[in-house]
Amino acid sequence: MNLIAIAILAPLVAAVLILLLRRAPAALSLLGTVIGLIASIGLLTNAFAGVAGALTLPGLPDMPLLLVATPLTALLSTLVAVICIFVMIYAVGYMKKDDEKVRFSATLLLFAAAMQTLVLAGDWILLLAAWELIGLSSYLLIGFWYRRPGVTSAATRAFMVTRSADLGLYIAVFILIATTGSSDIATTLNTGGSAAIVAGLLLLVAAMGKSAQTPLHDWLQRAMAGPTPVSALLHSATLVAAGAILLIRTAPMLPAETLLVIGIVGGITTVVTGLIALGENDLKRLLAASTSSQYGLMLLAVGAGVPLAALLHLIAHAAIKSALFLGAGVFQHSRDGTTFGKLEGAGRDQPRIFFGFALAALALAGIPPLSGFFSKDAIIAASLASSDAWLLASFALAGTLLTGAYMARALSILWHGDRQKRSIPGLGWMGAGLAGLVTLAVILGAFFPSIETLLRASLAEDENTLAQILGLSAALSGLALGWFISGERLLGPLLPWSQRGFAVAGGMDNLLVRPAFAIARRCEKLERSLYTGVLAVGRLGLNIGRGARFGDERGIDGLIFALVRGTINLGNRARTLQSGLIHREMAITVVGAALIFAILFIPLLFF
Amino acid sequence: MLPIVSITLFLPLLGALLIMALRKTSTQAIHAIGIITSGLTLLGSLWMWSRGVNETGFAQLEELDWMPSIGAAYRVGVDGISLPLVLLTTLLFFLTLIYSAKVKERPQAFVVLMLLLETAAIGTFTALDAILFYVFFEVSLVSMYFMIAGWGHEDRQRAALMFFIYTLLGSLPLLLAILGLYLGSEPHTFDMRVWINNPPLDGLAAMLALIAMLFTFAVKTPVFPFHTWLPAAHVQAPAAGSVILAGVMLKFGTYGLVRFALQMTPDAFRDAGIVILIFGVVAALYGAFAALAQSDIKRLIAYTSVNHMGYVIVGVAIAALALDPAIRATALDGSVLQMVSHGLVTGALFFLVGMLQDRAHTREMDQFGGLLKITPILGWSFVLAAFASLGLPGLAHFPAEFQIFLVTLQVEPAAVIVILGIVITAGLYLRAIGKVFLGEPNEKWLAMSDLNTREVLTLAPLLILIIVVGIAPALVLDMIHKTTAALQF
Repeated sequence: MNLIAIAILAPLVAAVLILLLRRAPAALSLLGTVIGLIASIGLLTNAFAGVAGALTLPGLPDMPLLLVATPLTALLSTLVAVICIFVMIYAVGYMKKDDEKVRFSATLLLFAAAMQTLVLAGDWILLLAAWELIGLSSYLLIGFWYRRPGVTSAATRAFMVTRSADLGLYIAVFILIATTGSSDIATTLNTGGSAAIVAGLLLLVAAMGKSAQTPLHDWLQRAMAGPTPVSALLHSATLVAAGAILLIRTAPMLPAETLLVIGIVGGITTVVTGLIALGENDLKRLLAASTSSQYGLMLLAVGAGVPLAALLHLIAHAAIKSALFLGAGVFQHSRDGTTFGKLEGAGRDQPRIFFGFALAALALAGIPPLSGFFSKDAIIAASLASSDAWLLASFALAGTLLTGAYMARALSILWHGDRQKRSIPGLGWMGAGLAGLVTLAVILGAFFPSIETLLRASLAEDENTLAQILGLSAALSGLALGWFISGERLLGPLLPWSQRGFAVAGGMDNLLVRPAFAIARRCEKLERSLYTGVLAVGRLGLNIGRGARFGDERGIDGLIFALVRGTINLGNRARTLQSGLIHREMAITVVGAALIFAILFIPLLFF
Repeated sequence: MLPIVSITLFLPLLGALLIMALRKTSTQAIHAIGIITSGLTLLGSLWMWSRGVNETGFAQLEELDWMPSIGAAYRVGVDGISLPLVLLTTLLFFLTLIYSAKVKERPQAFVVLMLLLETAAIGTFTALDAILFYVFFEVSLVSMYFMIAGWGHEDRQRAALMFFIYTLLGSLPLLLAILGLYLGSEPHTFDMRVWINNPPLDGLAAMLALIAMLFTFAVKTPVFPFHTWLPAAHVQAPAAGSVILAGVMLKFGTYGLVRFALQMTPDAFRDAGIVILIFGVVAALYGAFAALAQSDIKRLIAYTSVNHMGYVIVGVAIAALALDPAIRATALDGSVLQMVSHGLVTGALFFLVGMLQDRAHTREMDQFGGLLKITPILGWSFVLAAFASLGLPGLAHFPAEFQIFLVTLQVEPAAVIVILGIVITAGLYLRAIGKVFLGEPNEKWLAMSDLNTREVLTLAPLLILIIVVGIAPALVLDMIHKTTAALQF
């Protein structure tokens, strides 16, 4: 059986089995994920050996569904599978007390299958399908605790924001298929001219939705209402990654104009959401804002024309951010919440977890030799080498500085405070998952050169020293600022803006949602008047009928009745003749007969 | 060869006669006869499916002389456009009769009406003679009228009458158009195949005939602003009636649009294509927005029908406007598949709302809350059907809508604005799910029972097919595409 099929089907089959059997969700989900991981690693080794895989399935007429294992897709597939396995291990412990493990595991596996489909998709229809299916899984997982207040609205918002942005993907796909006549992604990448510019911008819109880029960043922070493993897997490493992955895959097609826009969007996002993270009062929401900010850096790298740098940061960030979330989940269990008020000193409760968390935080800030250093360095180098270096590089450096600041702020809050000791059920499983991811966050940088050879692309080396110096000083000063000065003071006048999520004019609610409901109410009003209109027409018909009846009664009926009356009168008169008196009847009969005979015989007399 | 089309067509009628002949029968026996008859009819249509359709023209033709002097005959047959609809019809009637096994009030009349309606519906899709088509098209109204008036809710009399008069008046212009086509054909005939292969009218006559037909089918589909009867009828109709009304009878309109308007007056249709397209776009968006404003969940689903059927109109209009035969075929593929998907999805949704109403005796969304916890099977079935209705990939509507939107962009890029509909429907369904099924369970409904076996049996086939059609649309599309790829007009 095809390895691609196994990579997708293993989690899917496990999900179906869990739903049908309704038992052993943990074991089955681990089994499904491990089999999927083995298949993904198989694809990756094949890719290293130069063997590409492909699978064609029947789809729409003339548009078959394609799955391809190129070096890039195989690498991403492995990344997804690796993060999945650690998060699944962690989730066994995290969900220990929850009584809906079956639903949780099944949905998480459904997500894993959809995400594998997304990264391995070779045609636009399948990619679009997977793209929307991960949106669905995200909705189901954010809404997992649907009975808690606020959860439903968070899930709905996430789905609505991403789906609205998905229209960009729909229309971009239509444009690409219409221009090239093929739904094969590889073929459509040859598109050029204005079609490429427009399609590229539309793809950017879709990516902004999924990767929570400004101004569509708000849903991701609210999505933290879901269970923490979900935040770790979906809202840092995979679902959110889809946007960046889309742009990385289509980068060869994107013209310079579109790239510049992508770079600017990424740059603005990294600064704006970085500032939001700095003013955040909740650890998970801080990490969520940071996720937007890091994806902003990736978009910036794509915009600078070096998608490889974006890819490396995506890989490093996946491991780092999931590790951070898993750590946050432990603190959440130990303090029954994730607001900073509750978490003060939580790091001291669990020093080993805190150590892992801190390693990941430093990696994210870009401290050598941790993985984030290499990828962030690549991004800064790319921005310096781009044609709009002054703009992109200042965004990149500001983003790096902010990363250091908000991570140091989180560490400082976790470390300063009173120690509380409490036993956490399932800590073993959680610790194992966290340890695996922290290890990756630390060592992944060592694998970057081999990834470069795999993809047959390499980073520009000439300005590296400058980039390293700038990047490192930004990161270190950020860390120092965050550790020693509180976020509120750092933000200064920006603080209220940050707490509002930099929403302008009431944000999306005022700009889109309210108008939509206003239109809906107008339609409903029109509906009512249409309905009364139809009823009025009906009543008019009835009135005409009544009028006709009136006319009938007085006119036609009158005439008819007059005739009838005449006939009756005649009949009455005739009846007087039929009196029932036999002698009279006899007399009449005789007279009648005589008359008839007379009439019959008179003519005979004349002829 | 066995005349399987005719057998399938008249089996329900036979069942109805049988029930009428049996004077004193238990309720159970009556329902059993109804279910068995419609089950056999479903098998008949599956048999038709296995015989398949031809590359060109109609397949499985069956003919009998009827009124030779005026060129009317009993002619039935199927092609890739009508066969999927016949399959949908027989499936939905079968499931509706299973669901209706709970009807205790005048069961005999109920089942007889249902079976009559089934024959009328199959007849509408298989008739190849215009007179025959018209007869079936009209007879269906009578059955549905009694269905609503007899087994509906509070304000059923008025809704039934409105439905009847509205659609009856609506279909008169079609009769005029049929007469026009008849008089235009040389020699005079009512054979629809002749009219399709050789459109009898041109110029002004064709345009007038088209306008007449468009009016009829716009009322039936329904298209804004001729849709007012639909929410009224749906809200008052019993669940079984709603399923048939939305799942089967709305397709009379779009089927007629393709079979009559598009195929018999193709040039006029092309000239009017932009106008029809605009009507489709407006209907789709208006239906979505109107649905968003509803608080009654049944009305909400009724309005999404206006939205989904709007996409069908868009697809057919694009097919007429497209010059490239490949695009034309894709447009019609999408439109016909959309009809089938809508039947499956909306059928499931109306069943679910019916089941909800059976339990709660209300349809106001604000009255509910947290039902997912209390009635998980009902809740998850609704979630699945709702996501199908909002066009989620992997479920039935996606392939159809994808094709329709794709060709829309290729032929009339501005009309692709209609795609906004999928965001609005997403919003309204998520809102409905949130209000009815999520949140803290409402105290009032804690004792609500989940679906019973009969209800699960009714729903399961639809839900499974929604997934199957979504994942492997080729199953239906192959049949449709065979016909649409060869259409010449």
